[in-house]
Amino acid sequence: MATRAELSEFLAGAERRAFKQALFAVRDQDNALDIVQDAMFRLSESYSDRAVSELPLLFTRIVQNAILDFFRRQKVRSTWITLFSALSSSDNEDSDPLESLEAQPGSASAESAQDQVERGQVVGIIEQEISRLPARQREAFLLRYWEDLDVAETAATMKCSEGSVKTHCSRATQALAKALRARGIEL
Amino acid sequence: MNEAEFAYRIRQALDEGASQLDYTVSLRLEKARNAALARSSATAAAPLWVPALQLAGAGGRDSGASGTGFSSWLFRFGLAVPLIALAIGIVGIKQWQNDTMVAEVADLDFAVLLDDTPIDTYAHSGFGVYLRDEKPSAM
Repeated sequence: MATRAELSEFLAGAERRAFKQALFAVRDQDNALDIVQDAMFRLSESYSDRAVSELPLLFTRIVQNAILDFFRRQKVRSTWITLFSALSSSDNEDSDPLESLEAQPGSASAESAQDQVERGQVVGIIEQEISRLPARQREAFLLRYWEDLDVAETAATMKCSEGSVKTHCSRATQALAKALRARGIEL
Repeated sequence: MNEAEFAYRIRQALDEGASQLDYTVSLRLEKARNAALARSSATAAAPLWVPALQLAGAGGRDSGASGTGFSSWLFRFGLAVPLIALAIGIVGIKQWQNDTMVAEVADLDFAVLLDDTPIDTYAHSGFGVYLRDEKPSAM
């Protein structure tokens, strides 16, 4: 069982990555902070009796579920808005927003990244390009290569097959390399 | 450059980005962490001893060292008392039913014995039918 100090230390180390992942996904700082806070609450309330070694994978799954919950709530909200709005179309009612979510030029995240570009930070450009990846590719790439999960753990967290994880990671790598090359960045 | 090398360099950039969060974001994360830890400690600080019958619905609340001794004994005792009372009740009802039945049979026998019926009548095969038919009118 993790002590309070161990739990605190774990959260202090994981919260920044969790925030960045949520920010890449939802592209709104306040929503990303809410997601991370919600995930922290869930972990400490329901899983603080687990061993410290189990916490990283548990927290990763909780964060991913919290991000999914956010998109589900957003979808329900947009469905109601669509229902009551005569001007909106309902072409993509059955589509999963996570599969096709692309960054929109001119959004808050893009402006923020532009500021970072002006400061000459390559990190900012990389983060921007990661946030532009399709959601499932980004999720697989970050879980696999940033959270250090293996293919099986990533597949379990994403609730898909291991083959899909490999495909998502490969496509994310190719898309990211291509996008960075196009912006003059060679890693 | 293969996928793993590329991912490693991206990871370095991501780590660098995560370490350079705005002060306001860091502060909010710290507050959220403290609030989460407070919830965790609030759960851990819950009283170890609760009434025995309440433990049945608590689902393993007695996780503390002192919670497994006296309170678990109370929990078992609290379960046993109603079971014992139920068993005593069932036996008592059965006994009462037996006593009532025996008393009714005895009353019938007593009534028959008081009658001045000749003794040979009891050996007659139709005497039982006679008693059954005649009893309502006799009472």
